[in-house]
Amino acid sequence: MADYRQMWSDLGMDLDKHDLLCEALPDAFQGVYLSQENRPQGMDFFNFVVSEIHGVRPAELMEHQKAGGKVFGTFCVYVPDEVIFAAGGIATGLCGGSQFWVSGGEKVLPANTCPLIKASVGARLDKTCPFFRIADMYVGETTCDGKKKAWEILSAEVPVHVIDVPQMKRKKDIEAFQGEILDFIKIVEDFTGNKITPEALAKSIKLINNKRKALQRLYAARKAAPVPISGKDALLVTQIAFYDDPARCAEMTNILCNELEERIQAKEGVFPADALRILVTGTPLAIPNWKLHHIVETAGATVVVEESCTGTRYFEQLVDESGSTIEEQVKALAERYMKTNCACFTPNPGRIDDIIRLADEYKVDGVIDVSLQFCNLYSTESYLVKQALADRGIPVMHIETDYSEQDYEQLRTRVEAFLEILRK
Amino acid sequence: MTDTNYRWYILFPNHHQGLRLSRELKKQGLKSTIVPTPRAASSCCGMSLLIEPSDLEIMQQIITELRIEIEKVVKLPIKDGWQYRSS
Repeated sequence: MADYRQMWSDLGMDLDKHDLLCEALPDAFQGVYLSQENRPQGMDFFNFVVSEIHGVRPAELMEHQKAGGKVFGTFCVYVPDEVIFAAGGIATGLCGGSQFWVSGGEKVLPANTCPLIKASVGARLDKTCPFFRIADMYVGETTCDGKKKAWEILSAEVPVHVIDVPQMKRKKDIEAFQGEILDFIKIVEDFTGNKITPEALAKSIKLINNKRKALQRLYAARKAAPVPISGKDALLVTQIAFYDDPARCAEMTNILCNELEERIQAKEGVFPADALRILVTGTPLAIPNWKLHHIVETAGATVVVEESCTGTRYFEQLVDESGSTIEEQVKALAERYMKTNCACFTPNPGRIDDIIRLADEYKVDGVIDVSLQFCNLYSTESYLVKQALADRGIPVMHIETDYSEQDYEQLRTRVEAFLEILRK
Repeated sequence: MTDTNYRWYILFPNHHQGLRLSRELKKQGLKSTIVPTPRAASSCCGMSLLIEPSDLEIMQQIITELRIEIEKVVKLPIKDGWQYRSS
């Protein structure tokens, strides 16, 4: 077996504590993923990434550093990865989806902070995430109050740059975000020592757009009935897209899509054609948070689309590739990123429009609006989501949960009751 | 317990060898799935191949012919009543 312990030790990780995570992952993966029937063969690449999640990719990032490259750890879909890759850097997601890391975060954060933030800070402070150890710089943003304060804590450990995401979507806000991207270019250039040219930025805009197009194709396949891939598997692909090399991720997702499209032709699915179809909307589900999808899909329904940062918000909009100067490209980047409909904006009717549009496109029977505990923005916005969906006769249930298994049976009962109502 | 109560895994000294065998098995139409190696099989993290025991003999031939390095083949009982646990 591959033994990464020397690498983790060199990274200053707490091996004994990290070992507890290594012990838990295989059982969880087998319980959630191998209980499924007829999984697409193309999922094997993504199984591989999970199996080696703290080994292969971290080793690649360290090779990049040995060759003089920089690694930027990011938390949010508002960080323009294009800028980082254009300077010869690598952007990677950071750990934050497991209950395992939460207690480490609670040592320094209020208990009523969302589990994503607690887990992220805990993963860094407890020294149990190689991505947090490897990243030369963390790139944060201002999408919620909890994260804004978390950056201040993390900046004692590693250089942090915070991108100020506007909270409204007026013309002047989009212009302000252009300014933020220009500032970020300067930061990345200084940190990497590499000048970002229009040619390099054009190339990285294409690179990231190609990843988005592959994910769009994956999601388009989920519109079919019977659905050729489970929601759990599709979620896994999106979760891994935050960490993997973008070109390889696009290539492997496209290979998976070839198989899914053949399945659609053959009317082959992983659930019966009349299985209930669920749209999940709300807060991100970072790897390995598979709780809600597992509940839904072991209750006989299938998740066919996620309106979230680990779903359509991550890839739906493309950056216009026609710009040939840095100014034009930055404008295109700002316009693209500011189309993402996060609950941090006021007002945020675009998200409700997206949910209604996706409910129609994916022919869903019902919507589950999920908020991570203590995410004030999404929990509050759920009132407006519920109202808008009720007006259109789309059934919806709101769930507030965390990463733990404490509420698993309660949630299962609630989801089963919701599905029962949909069946009537 | 019958053989249906078990899962069979091939473990490798590194992922390169595992991927080589996985690719070859796919080419030959033999079923296998990449999975995180269960703790009961090894204390090291990383991938292993979940296979069908009925294919074991032909897989052994492929491993020998292509000189793929494996660490061991492990048979583990399927755990009954797994309940969701955050990893």
